[in-house]
Amino acid sequence: MSQTIEMSQTEAIVTAGRSRARRAGRSRAETFGAWVLLTPYSILFLVGAAIPIGYALVISLQKAPTLVNPESGFGGLQSFVTVVNDYRFWSTFVNIFTVLIVWLPIMLIGIVGLALLIHASRGRFAASMRFIYYIPGALAGIANFVLWVYLIDPVQSPIAFLWQAIGADTYKEVITPGNMPFIITGMLFFQGVGTWIVVVNGGLNGISDDVLDAAMIDGANAWQVAWQVKLPLIAPWVGYAALMNVAYGFQLFLEPYLLRQISSGSVVNEWAPTQLAYAFAFTNRNFPAAAAMSIILLLITLAIGMIIVTRSGLFGDERAERKGRRK
Amino acid sequence: MSRSGLEHAAVGSRRISAGRLARIIVMVAVAVAFVIPIVGFIALAFRSQSGLESGHDGFLGLAGMSWDNAVYSWSQITGFGPGDGGLFQRWMLNSVIVSVGGAALALIAALPAGYAFARLRFRFRKTFLFATLLAMVMPNTVLVIPIFLEVNALGAIGQLWPVAVIMAFFPFGVYLAYIHFMTTMPHELVEAARIDGLGEVKTFFLIGLPLSKQAIALVAFFSFVANWTNFFLPLALLTSNQQNKTISIGIQELIGASPLFNATVAAGLDVKLYLPQLALATVISMVPLLAMFLGAQRFLIRGQTVGALKG
Repeated sequence: MSQTIEMSQTEAIVTAGRSRARRAGRSRAETFGAWVLLTPYSILFLVGAAIPIGYALVISLQKAPTLVNPESGFGGLQSFVTVVNDYRFWSTFVNIFTVLIVWLPIMLIGIVGLALLIHASRGRFAASMRFIYYIPGALAGIANFVLWVYLIDPVQSPIAFLWQAIGADTYKEVITPGNMPFIITGMLFFQGVGTWIVVVNGGLNGISDDVLDAAMIDGANAWQVAWQVKLPLIAPWVGYAALMNVAYGFQLFLEPYLLRQISSGSVVNEWAPTQLAYAFAFTNRNFPAAAAMSIILLLITLAIGMIIVTRSGLFGDERAERKGRRK
Repeated sequence: MSRSGLEHAAVGSRRISAGRLARIIVMVAVAVAFVIPIVGFIALAFRSQSGLESGHDGFLGLAGMSWDNAVYSWSQITGFGPGDGGLFQRWMLNSVIVSVGGAALALIAALPAGYAFARLRFRFRKTFLFATLLAMVMPNTVLVIPIFLEVNALGAIGQLWPVAVIMAFFPFGVYLAYIHFMTTMPHELVEAARIDGLGEVKTFFLIGLPLSKQAIALVAFFSFVANWTNFFLPLALLTSNQQNKTISIGIQELIGASPLFNATVAAGLDVKLYLPQLALATVISMVPLLAMFLGAQRFLIRGQTVGALKG
């Protein structure tokens, strides 16, 4: 531990020294050239992120126009009050939490367990297993959903016995509010676990052979190596996976939106926070409220994003430089 | 040198230990659980509704598969739409337009940006890079409603070009290019180019770009896949224009027109969209992704450590 701290300190000094030298020698041409090269991306950054966020902020501070008074104007925080006091607001977050409670532990155990198993295997067997776990990831989005329409069919599904066991004979009886967290967990696990196994595997492959050899010379068995050596070393990746998936949970849209469509009304229209924002925009045509709801979601995911970028230790110049040196 | 030897001994590949057996059983069981739904789903695309109802299609419906079923289902899918139908093909074409257009623009933006972040020093570099990383790790759907408000203010709802432009904002691609230039283009090369009197922009085009095959393949692949499977953005921007839908929200419309889920709508249609038809439409909608995957495969394997950092 102390060794890593020392390492990063020396590295920081070296980098700082280098960048001071470079700063002194920085020419105007370099800055100019950089911004020329960055122009297309900067424009897209403005159009795809900065302007929409700024504009949503402005809209969210306006009054919602009504039939009686179609004038909109500055309304202060009125639309935020409207959103938070909406009878559906808290329940959408409760729904997300119920999904996270079921899904996150299963997802993390699945990712870490399968990644460790693959890493303990070798050759063609390991490669083909990793490939098979990855296949469902290709069925992202709507394709995964239609696959699940088949899987939750109480008659045709290969897991129909499950649905019959809970006494469900129709889609409507499978897709109940109580089953939603479990169905969504199934969908997200199936679609996401393979990609994350590849990510965590990347972390495992970065562990130096010396460390593993040393553990084995000390007489550790495969289980002890996985649990006591590999797991602590891939903790940053596991943390990264956990946070990314929490952030993902807050913006769930497709799954509850489409489940609602095939449930004959047994689950509500505004089940997830993004669906509520969507309803404000498209059903109520209350753009200030839709903007306010988006800002709230944006702040939540922004906070999680900040933690990921600043705390996970997986990003930044130093890390990228290290990667370069390793190659 | 000793790794493989030691590991052999540790995991006991020379003898079948209980631990090794348990590991293999768990891995194979999970693999089977992953493969069965996919096999059943592909089989479904080649089955008929009457076969489904009869219940005699055998294990996973494999015995009920036939080419004729698929031909019939195809006629139902392509028959969907006003007049003679044809919406499905139109939606596929729209998806190609926005996905390829978005990926091409993303490439044009990401490569020079990644190069600038990796090899040039300028004011606000750290801030802009940080904002890019932040945008990369945040789920992109949180921005959809604000983007809808923006595009609505422009009066461009229902048109394809804003979708392609928004898709072109692909911070993950910038990050990939940044990592690529960090790892493959030494500082010394940039310095040498400077000493030779090349400007920064010229250095990128003459030295950086020719070294970027790998980055081009990765950015193009990930961007295309993200665009093709994007659902919320086209839903918000294109739902109002049936002709301009992409395939992802088009399939949603097919689901909504199925007698399984909306008897009233389905009763008014000439075509019948049951599970086999929906499955076939989905399988066909995946073909471009498969083609992209096969095309980019060798780059993906080589770039695994780079590509690995994003889910």
